[in-house]
Amino acid sequence: MSERFSATLRIGDLNDFIAPSQACIVSVKGLKPASSAKSDKPEVAIASRAVKTEPVKISLKDCLACSGCITSAETVMLEKQSLDEFLSNIDKGKAVMISISPQSRASLAAHFGLSPLQVLRKLVTFFKSMGVKAVFDTSCSRDISLIESCNEFMMRYKQTKSKGDNPLPMLASACPGWICYAEKTLGSYILPYISSVKSPQQTMGAALKHHVCQIMGLRVDEIYHVSIMPCYDKKLEAVRDDFVFQLDSPNEAQLDVVPLAEVDSVLTSGEVLDLIKLKAVDFKSLEESPLDKMMTNVDEDGHLYGVLGSSGGYAETIFRYAAKELFGRDIEGPLDFKIIRNSDFQEVSLEVDGKTVLKFALCYGFRNLQNIVRKVKINKCDYDFVEVMACPSGCLNGGGQIKPEPGQSAKDLIQRLETVYMDQVSVADPFRNPLVRKLYDEWLEQPGSKKAKKYMHTEYHPVVKSISSQLHNW
Amino acid sequence: MESHDGAWSLKEVQKLEGHTDRVWSVAWNPAAGVAGVPAMLASCSGDKTVRVWEQNPSSSSWFCKAVLDETHTRTVRSCAWSPSGKLLATGSFDATTAIWENVGGDFECVSTLEGHENEVKSVCWNASGSLLATCGRDRSVWIWEVLPGNEFECASVLQGHTQDVKMVQWHPTMDILFSCSYDNTIKIWAEDGDDDWHCVQTLSEANGGHTSTVWALSFNTAGDKMVTCSDDLTIKVWETDSAKMMSGDGYVPWSHVCTLSGYHDRTIFSVHWSREGIIASGAADDAIRFFVESKDGSVDGPSYKMILRNEKAHDMDVNSVRWSHGENRFLASASDDGTVKIWELVPVI
Repeated sequence: MSERFSATLRIGDLNDFIAPSQACIVSVKGLKPASSAKSDKPEVAIASRAVKTEPVKISLKDCLACSGCITSAETVMLEKQSLDEFLSNIDKGKAVMISISPQSRASLAAHFGLSPLQVLRKLVTFFKSMGVKAVFDTSCSRDISLIESCNEFMMRYKQTKSKGDNPLPMLASACPGWICYAEKTLGSYILPYISSVKSPQQTMGAALKHHVCQIMGLRVDEIYHVSIMPCYDKKLEAVRDDFVFQLDSPNEAQLDVVPLAEVDSVLTSGEVLDLIKLKAVDFKSLEESPLDKMMTNVDEDGHLYGVLGSSGGYAETIFRYAAKELFGRDIEGPLDFKIIRNSDFQEVSLEVDGKTVLKFALCYGFRNLQNIVRKVKINKCDYDFVEVMACPSGCLNGGGQIKPEPGQSAKDLIQRLETVYMDQVSVADPFRNPLVRKLYDEWLEQPGSKKAKKYMHTEYHPVVKSISSQLHNW
Repeated sequence: MESHDGAWSLKEVQKLEGHTDRVWSVAWNPAAGVAGVPAMLASCSGDKTVRVWEQNPSSSSWFCKAVLDETHTRTVRSCAWSPSGKLLATGSFDATTAIWENVGGDFECVSTLEGHENEVKSVCWNASGSLLATCGRDRSVWIWEVLPGNEFECASVLQGHTQDVKMVQWHPTMDILFSCSYDNTIKIWAEDGDDDWHCVQTLSEANGGHTSTVWALSFNTAGDKMVTCSDDLTIKVWETDSAKMMSGDGYVPWSHVCTLSGYHDRTIFSVHWSREGIIASGAADDAIRFFVESKDGSVDGPSYKMILRNEKAHDMDVNSVRWSHGENRFLASASDDGTVKIWELVPVI
């Protein structure tokens, strides 16, 4: 398996006796025909067609559905997720839209010695010169994820007090490495704790393909949506069945229903750097273009804004919100995160009348994740919310980030990224984001509404262990 | 070994029967068999159980004191007593490690450690009993911190081996962990002072190491020598600079001293170094062999000679050999034939 996936995913691929070629169900049986792959309809076998077998290919989706390996073949990963695919879709005349994560922005900013704003503006120039239609910012859609998370937390908190089904601690859901690990190896006992809110990558995809396209006067199938992420695991997230939808076509009989994905392709920060090099562009001297304000957190004065917390600010935002809503406490200044056993495990709590009423944690990296999971399983986890991320140091240290310069240590780079991340970016409350308010007013109605649930929330599915993954060995 | 340079014989003290499948591993309780406490031994098996055996002080014969079952759902591959002898850790193919506490002669499962993706192959406590290491087929090595109240917290997940990890062993005096693997290497892991563990050395074919699966390793009492055994039919002895090691001045690397070959013609599954310097080995040829450092004063550095072998120690593969902690030269062996045997090595006068 590629070293570039998060360590959490890599540890999931541990079957040393069964090489992928033997264990992989797909390679043995061949792929199901594409059309029947995701249909719920009863399948009718038509003899003449059934004979035609396509060449055996393993897609990321097949790998996700299997409990065996993830696959060692890097080529599998890149089928629909590569620079080539991205470039060819521009050539095909698709309306290519790009959503850039703030972590990728920081990675490029550190690499080029620019500010996040400069990077974003130059990326607009760079991508638009290639024919890209729009360049957006996932800090904007992340504010939707955060608002929905706040709302979900309040629901869970109140239900727990009245012994409901959705238990605490609520575990963050934005990290695809963690989700994949939870589904594949932890299974049903942990899944109810995981927030149902989609990640910023997917809330951006849902907003673009279900709503923004109409405002822009585009058909949804014209759009090719690419996100730029700090993490290879995001590629796996984008191909999840839960994030694929079909057009509601009232009249046309379902001939050739093309499934649409919220996110068509994911490029990593490092791949964007490769693209810049490929195009032989002097990035630092590129002009700075105006930002696409429709889905970018930029204010009237041209400043970027977003939440604190370089892994998405989930704990930070929900803690402040819950403190205010549940206990009437407005917390001034930075939250007092205390390091527990290492810098990747921190907690923050709220005391009211000498009693701890809220206890949140940040939990990054596989070993810390193990301890949270263990505590949840034996019912000894006293946190109300845990921001779980698979990578040590969180998302800024994602496997897709630009590698350290020669002579630069990984720790130095992380520190640099932490500084750059909020450089000239103002801190703003997601609930006051005018872009997001507009989306709720025009489309989603209220946080937690039926529409918000439909478009901004998802489900998790335990992966049943296949027999091949349980073969007896010593 | 100073005491006897002559011939030795191996006396079978008792055959312990009860397991209904192959026996994988045996472990002597370090707190028993001394100071008037009757000797105690744990064995684990493909029959999914762990048996605890105790020696009757008056008759000296061994009996099965407890059967720990209905916890592991597959083969129990490895067992290890904590230094205090209070806790027994058992690693199983069911991907879990169970912690059993001896409560007045009864064994209660007080904790289950999950996290390995599949088969756990080996468990080992450090010298102080504050850390527990496990390893397995998922190629990873885990370090657990032992907290009060039988709580365990994951301190590290080490990925470095490229194949199944067969055994983990802590250094007898320092918190340095050794692991050996199907990838033919021995890896040495140490903490960097920043709550992070790293591989500090890999002993592979390139530095005189094994050319096939390394199944087991063991240390001499001083902790400056290590013996390893392999599917390549050799036993290798390694050493480190003991003076430097004791000065605590950073990590001191290990180097290959000598290779014992030509003794086994089947895979060597187990080696164990006794307090007085006798190396016992158990192999797929059903035999147990004993080696000591040769005093011939060879110019090529230390060499080892075989002092005794029992070609038919068991009816099938010998999976584990373990010296007792007490004064006598007792050895326990576990075999595919489903039995555990207690032996005594006695000088022939």
